[in-house]
Amino acid sequence: MISVIVVMTIFLVVLYKYRCYKFIHGWLILSSLMMLFWFSFMYLGEVFKTYNLAMDYPTVAMIIWNFGVVGMICIHWKGPLQLQQAYLIAISALMALVFIKYLPEWSAWVILGAISVYDLVAVLCPKGPLRMLVETAQERNEPIFPALIYSSAMIWMVGMANPARHAEPTNQDTGMFCLISAYNPLALTMLRGVKLGLGDFIFYSVLVGKAAATGGDWNTTLACFVAILIGLCLTLLLLAIFKKALPALPISITFGLVFYFSTDNLVRPFMDNLAAHQFYI
Amino acid sequence: MNLERLPNEEKLTLCRKYYFGNVYNVCVWGFAFLPFLWLVNVVWFFKEAFVKPTYTEQLQIKTYVKCSGLGFLLWVAVLTTWITIFQHFRAEWGEVGDYLSFTIPLGIP
Repeated sequence: MISVIVVMTIFLVVLYKYRCYKFIHGWLILSSLMMLFWFSFMYLGEVFKTYNLAMDYPTVAMIIWNFGVVGMICIHWKGPLQLQQAYLIAISALMALVFIKYLPEWSAWVILGAISVYDLVAVLCPKGPLRMLVETAQERNEPIFPALIYSSAMIWMVGMANPARHAEPTNQDTGMFCLISAYNPLALTMLRGVKLGLGDFIFYSVLVGKAAATGGDWNTTLACFVAILIGLCLTLLLLAIFKKALPALPISITFGLVFYFSTDNLVRPFMDNLAAHQFYI
Repeated sequence: MNLERLPNEEKLTLCRKYYFGNVYNVCVWGFAFLPFLWLVNVVWFFKEAFVKPTYTEQLQIKTYVKCSGLGFLLWVAVLTTWITIFQHFRAEWGEVGDYLSFTIPLGIP
């Protein structure tokens, strides 16, 4: 599994370097298409079965068709920013759900840990594939594919030589993420606001989702959630300090994993015992 | 996408494309069962069409927004009727009802 991700990352960077844009675009479109239609179809089916509602094929077809087409338009072409953000979040959540549902128990945790390490390596080492991807994009002065990035604010300033400090995260479709900060005073168009790679979203969601599914306790889930947010704040802080591409995964995921396992094994028996003995702090 | 940064003509083109529902300005796909697209059109361009002070292309944008709104309301009416009919008569239709069903609730006829 890890080797698959490594291979795909390197493959993507090689394609980008040799300007095989059509291939990359085609692949991105295909994968987002599949996610928008197929996964949401499955998810909708599950939801209806859980709530024991009757639903007919024509209505479902209409819902999925609308959702999918508007999603494709929003992400790959132009659309209102909030809607694009909402769609990207929805896709990340769906992808995370698929991971949570179909990955065996321990594999998910091991993969999370391994990916953080790989992310660290891939972004910070000079020869790392992700770093090369970002630097190549900056050299060519072109924005990284919109389908892979979540941007919090988009303001195009044409013609201003305003030294804006902006963070540009990129993420691979396979799930690598890095948070990049580029300092580009002479570019004609500049993007402000933080951009976070989609893969980061997916793995954060996987972490919290698994905590919610297997922890069985709100404390664990909440602890993971808070841990990830703290990790993200720290990463942004580091971003402001270093002004370079940074991996967004390692810090948050480490915190999240640590919090999850410690809460699960230490805090829960403690609280259970307290409740059993009716001893309130 | 930040609307304020676009020049007026581009806003008009965008609104029209959203109305017709396709990228290459061919009318055929426009009405391709996409009420959601029309809703997005209405919400997104509402301020442009009705709140901002007048400019040349605004009239056309207004027409597009109004038509999108009408189309959306029409589709909502159609869908609501169909859903009500289906939910009400599903059991009585027997085989046809089952054939049309995506999920069948357990325990209820």
